Amino acid sequence: MFGSGQGVALSCCETEGGGKVAWRVFQDSVMLIAVSGGGRHGAGSSKEEEVHLQRLLENVWNCMVLVLGQDELTNMRNVERLKRDLRSCFSIIDQLLEDRQEGILGNLTHCTDSLIPPNTTVIQEAVDSFAKAADSEFGCLIVHGRIAAATEKWWRLAPQEVVLLSALVRTLSGSGSASCDYPVFLPQGSPTVAHRLLRFHLLPGADVCVLCGPTPSLHRAETELVGRFWSPLVETLRDCLAVGERCLPGSVSLRPDVLALLLINRETRRSVSCVRTSTNHPPCAPLLPSKARCWELLKLFYIFSIKHYFMQEETLCVTPEERAHKTNTEDFVHGFSHQPIHCYLVTEECKSYGLQTPQHQLFLLIPLSVPTFALRTVATQTLSDIVAATGLSPLM
Amino acid sequence: MAQVLAPGSIVVADWHRCNESKQYFSKILHRKRRRHFGLLEFPVMPPHVPVDTIHYKVFISGKSGVGKTALAARLAGLNIPNVHYETTGIETTVVYWPVKLRESGRVLFFRLQLWDCGENALRRFDHLLPSCKEQVDAVLFLFSFTDRTSFDDLSNQIAKWTDTTEDRVVKLVVGTKFDLFMHCDVAERDVKVFQKTWSLPVLHIGGEVSDGFGDVAPLLNCLTEQLWHQDCVTAGSANYHLVQETV
Repeated sequence: MFGSGQGVALSCCETEGGGKVAWRVFQDSVMLIAVSGGGRHGAGSSKEEEVHLQRLLENVWNCMVLVLGQDELTNMRNVERLKRDLRSCFSIIDQLLEDRQEGILGNLTHCTDSLIPPNTTVIQEAVDSFAKAADSEFGCLIVHGRIAAATEKWWRLAPQEVVLLSALVRTLSGSGSASCDYPVFLPQGSPTVAHRLLRFHLLPGADVCVLCGPTPSLHRAETELVGRFWSPLVETLRDCLAVGERCLPGSVSLRPDVLALLLINRETRRSVSCVRTSTNHPPCAPLLPSKARCWELLKLFYIFSIKHYFMQEETLCVTPEERAHKTNTEDFVHGFSHQPIHCYLVTEECKSYGLQTPQHQLFLLIPLSVPTFALRTVATQTLSDIVAATGLSPLM
Repeated sequence: MAQVLAPGSIVVADWHRCNESKQYFSKILHRKRRRHFGLLEFPVMPPHVPVDTIHYKVFISGKSGVGKTALAARLAGLNIPNVHYETTGIETTVVYWPVKLRESGRVLFFRLQLWDCGENALRRFDHLLPSCKEQVDAVLFLFSFTDRTSFDDLSNQIAKWTDTTEDRVVKLVVGTKFDLFMHCDVAERDVKVFQKTWSLPVLHIGGEVSDGFGDVAPLLNCLTEQLWHQDCVTAGSANYHLVQETV
């Protein structure tokens, strides 16, 4: 605060022990401060930590707007009341802080965690017609916390909103409730007027939701529409659920030497990610990192790559203030006239390889036993395998 | 207001303890815990044991923090949230409960959909309460044994539901956090007096979630009994009218 009074921007500070404080002011009204303890097991360098914290601040602000609306936050009349009202967002904020669910990377990448169902067209048609029957243009089907299909308009929401709505649905779905009618404000699209998010828990692990206006009522939508559109598709939904955490249908065969992958479609801002559970691993080979560790390594490698080599897509709809902020974090990417398209990293635990094309970014974890010169082939082949198998899918 | 039904006068009380009920209760269990049903699922009995399922909508009313969400979770056998989060919209929970009617020996599956909505959300958004009231069959009025004001507020809450149009709505009072007797703020005597004045059933809940159905059975049996009774009364009066018309 002292700094900004003097026209100096100070964006974060750090202790010797690795602790870090980052902050940001939103709408000239609310300052959010994030503190990290440092000594996190295996956390990356402080740069990586900073990206994490900045993302967290942005996500927390967006989720405050989602629940309370921007007016409530910027023109506060009574601080005590606001503090009480803010309790409503705690469940989603806790989810962001704990970052518990493995395989959900959207909070970090701001790309929607997706799942490619084996029967895309059937599912897509069902989502479209269900949304239409509910007087809505915005509908989506979430399977295992990831979007399996959504209407055209749903994808036109700002990427952060899509990610945030997915997070909200995960929280709601996790509580085990059967359906809900939630007033939500869209941080970019409609920060001051609330829409209704209707969510229906079709099967354990599968939720369908629509964003709509005053009609239909939850009761009517549930009794008249859910059964009509979704009962005939129970088996199709079960097939989607069977895809599980792999996120890719069985028709996509991955090379056995891929430990984990994150694939981002840069145009649609969607991503799929998975970690393989090794089944036929030779006992004499060096121990592979655990599944949880793989997810952590994948995140760290993603941050490392976008921090040092690949540009992260400018998230749409950033305010000029936010853009100015982003340029603070520039690294040597801007020092070069060319754009790196491949990068790799060899550590004690595994090898990592990243590549980007105009349409995709792919991040891979590969066992140490694979020679470094082969990484590039593994990566390019994996990308072309997935693209070939899902080429017709509107998702990837 | 009708006389309070004696518990067990219509449905068999403690039926969940009987051996013959096992085949029904096993349908709402999965690995010894309560099974969670999606909206497209329901308990399926073998073809030679036909059982009807009847649907009811139940609204949970009560002050913020009184334990509405926790009650819904407990009745459905879901994990009870250990931190209090304000519910910021409507959340519904489905509970299946098998019941044996005393007189006919007929078994029915009750599908109770519990509607829970945070008090602050109700105040901020006008469309939520009408949505909760739409075709509702029963209301549970909640008060907390640890919060005197929530008990004193009950009459206000109930008064809101005594319009003529909602006459057929079953009403039940539930006291939550009964286990925290150290902090108890509502004396048993007051509860008795209340029960007499309003002639509404008052039940209580709280404490450890038991392994079986012991902690939820009294409440669910009482609720299903009232609902069934109300239906019979309604159907009876309808028949009566029919008879009159034909004459």
